[in-house]
Amino acid sequence: MNSAISVRHLTKDFKIGLRGLKLRAVDDLSLEIPRGQVYGLLGPNGCGKSTTLKIILGLVSGTTGEINILGFPSATAEARRRTGFLPEAPYFHKFLSGRELVRYCAQLSGVPAVKMDDAVDSALELAAMTEASSRPIGTYSKGMLQRIGLAQAIVHDPELVILDEPTAGVDPVGAAAIGRMIRAMRDQGKTVVLCSHLLGQVEQVCDRVAIMDHGRLVLEGRVDEVLAQRDRHLMTIEGLTPEARLAAESTLAAHGARVTSVTHPRRSLEELFRELVTGSRDA
Amino acid sequence: MRPRALWIACLALLLAAGALSERSWLSVRSCIPEIGPKQIEPTIGQGVLLGILGGFRTVIADMTWIRSYVLWERKDRPACETLMRTACALDPHSRYFWENTGYALGYDMAHWEIRRRGGYAKVPKEIQDHLFKSYARKGLEVLDEGVRLSKGRAALLVFAGQLAEMKLSDKQLAADYYRQAAETVSPPWYAARFCARNEWDAGHPMEAYVWFKNYWLDRLSKESDHAPDDLALIRDMETHLKINLLSRIPRQSWEK
Amino acid sequence: MTFLEAVRQRFFAFLIVLGAAMVLSSVAFRFLDFGHGELKFIADFGFGGMFLFGSILAVVMTAQLFFAEMDNRTALTLLAKPLSRAEFLIGKFFGVWMILGLFVIILSALLGLVLWARAQELSLLAEQSGRVAPDFSISGLSIFALLQWLRLSVVAAIVLAIAAAARTFLFAVILGALTVVAGQLQWIAQDVLLKPTESVVYKSILWLTSRILPNLQQFNIGDALVLDSGTVAMSSIGWVILSGLLYASAYLLLGALVFRRREI
Repeated sequence: MNSAISVRHLTKDFKIGLRGLKLRAVDDLSLEIPRGQVYGLLGPNGCGKSTTLKIILGLVSGTTGEINILGFPSATAEARRRTGFLPEAPYFHKFLSGRELVRYCAQLSGVPAVKMDDAVDSALELAAMTEASSRPIGTYSKGMLQRIGLAQAIVHDPELVILDEPTAGVDPVGAAAIGRMIRAMRDQGKTVVLCSHLLGQVEQVCDRVAIMDHGRLVLEGRVDEVLAQRDRHLMTIEGLTPEARLAAESTLAAHGARVTSVTHPRRSLEELFRELVTGSRDA
Repeated sequence: MRPRALWIACLALLLAAGALSERSWLSVRSCIPEIGPKQIEPTIGQGVLLGILGGFRTVIADMTWIRSYVLWERKDRPACETLMRTACALDPHSRYFWENTGYALGYDMAHWEIRRRGGYAKVPKEIQDHLFKSYARKGLEVLDEGVRLSKGRAALLVFAGQLAEMKLSDKQLAADYYRQAAETVSPPWYAARFCARNEWDAGHPMEAYVWFKNYWLDRLSKESDHAPDDLALIRDMETHLKINLLSRIPRQSWEK
Repeated sequence: MTFLEAVRQRFFAFLIVLGAAMVLSSVAFRFLDFGHGELKFIADFGFGGMFLFGSILAVVMTAQLFFAEMDNRTALTLLAKPLSRAEFLIGKFFGVWMILGLFVIILSALLGLVLWARAQELSLLAEQSGRVAPDFSISGLSIFALLQWLRLSVVAAIVLAIAAAARTFLFAVILGALTVVAGQLQWIAQDVLLKPTESVVYKSILWLTSRILPNLQQFNIGDALVLDSGTVAMSSIGWVILSGLLYASAYLLLGALVFRRREI
């Protein structure tokens, strides 16, 4: 079984009002999420991706269809034992310290007592929260909350990690740190499913993406495959004089190619920001 | 476990709990002061419900009784009677409420009713007597219920006897009440004497004598002073009834 | 976790303070006593405080702790773990059960202290006037405290079952409160059921009601336990405890079954 998550013909109808009207949130969705990759699930608001996630996690039941996680039916405890989840805008009890929260989640996830301390330490280290772990969660910043949420999601060493908007409201430095953590998890052999509206980050972090709209799958594949415009090429040239440009254009035209635009490359604001403030940490 | 089986198990558990609850209720019911729908009906919405639900019964009973005083001042008979009866129902173990409700009904409310109808000069004597008797019976009903529920049985029985004697002029009924009072565990010292007198006045002198004699021998003679006044009354009875010497109570060494 | 969350809430502290104030003020209000006996009057304040504030605590706090998890979406995080819906609900119940226990223990201890202090004073006065001193039973008070804890646990289990199906906190609180009132008055239906009646339909409805709704009035034997110790047989108390435990279990199971089908 190569798929971490296997969704087959999933449909979910919600009943509205007393007249029994139905709202179809997911419409005959079939999806195979391979193991050991970072998978992006994208779509506009109301497209059904959150509903799909909830059905995968067993929080909502599908109307028809079948979902398996790592070979187990999704609604079973066995499947959930192998899954870690970070919800969107996570809320945790403010009176707990970060370490207490992660420990509590480790207990709920069935981590044996003998391995508890090591598991908690590893999770906190991966989430870069070791220094702040003894402070109450009520004192954490937004980025720290996301990172401690990540720690509680992975403390039991799950094979599959599902992250819903992990960088929402987090500054670019924090978002980049979370991106590094996601790649580190993939390198450990975990499968990461990422739901995000920050397309730039999805593009950088994910290996494969699926795009949903109106409850249906509209596109699925490797990131570089779906984004590449195979009929076009991009060259970055240094020291191009006007004469050299003319010569290059006529050579290309002789071979049947056409230069459609010549511009100066731009770096992104995020890159500039990170270049300038990489030294600041929000710990 | 299949969901349907779990639902059936849940229903079975509920029914079992209910069956057990019925049994447990029967076993503890006598420990809980009774209060039925009839008593609470007139006063629902006046804060009495809280007392019935289980908390503050005594306090709510006291507050209800105090409110009845306000209505007493206004001579509002129906409302006053309602609140007094409710106070009794809320705290049925307390003698105070039964006693005073019985008194109010038996002795006072007839006069309020007569005044309400125009006064003693206007209301015919027959109607007045009917009202006195009617309210005295109401008072006795209250005292009877108090005897059944409260802990002050002897005192309430004596009050009932007094009411029967003075307002109903029913000597036999009064004697019955005084007899019951005398036969309680700690009766008032005069209960037996009142019983004997009323029984005698009701036209049953021999029955009065026999009962009073046996009572003196069983209980009063064992008291520290041997109840000399009661023995004196028995001697009068013996003289009146011409009881032969062998059947009389033997002369006591301390008798004069 | 539920207990830790609940014990930090100001609402809990507020109710404890109110209940304690009620018990302590009973001594000041004893001039209102119309011959019940001072100890009975004081005890009644304590019983009333435990009943009123305990019921409020059981209904409101249970619903609040449940809906806080739903509204804050901590339930999402927890239920995504290998934790069954039943375990989640039972965990909530035990957290509430512990807080109710703490409440009952504090108030009972305070009531016991006030009763003891007043009993000592009355005992001295009785000695001087040659009368019998009123007394109360500490073991009876302990048993009464246990029964109140059980009664409130039954209420909490019912409110959890309601909350598992309800969409809003307010609905759960209102329905929970109505259930408490109905449970306290249910004995009327049970009494009617014991009397002969010709109407089969009427009897069937009463039978069903008396089974589904617990008779909460059976836990109110404080007077007999504390002030007339010896009038309640231990076997009777045993039946009451058993019926309470069964009801709590039944409603927890019902809540778990309803919650199983709830979409988070």
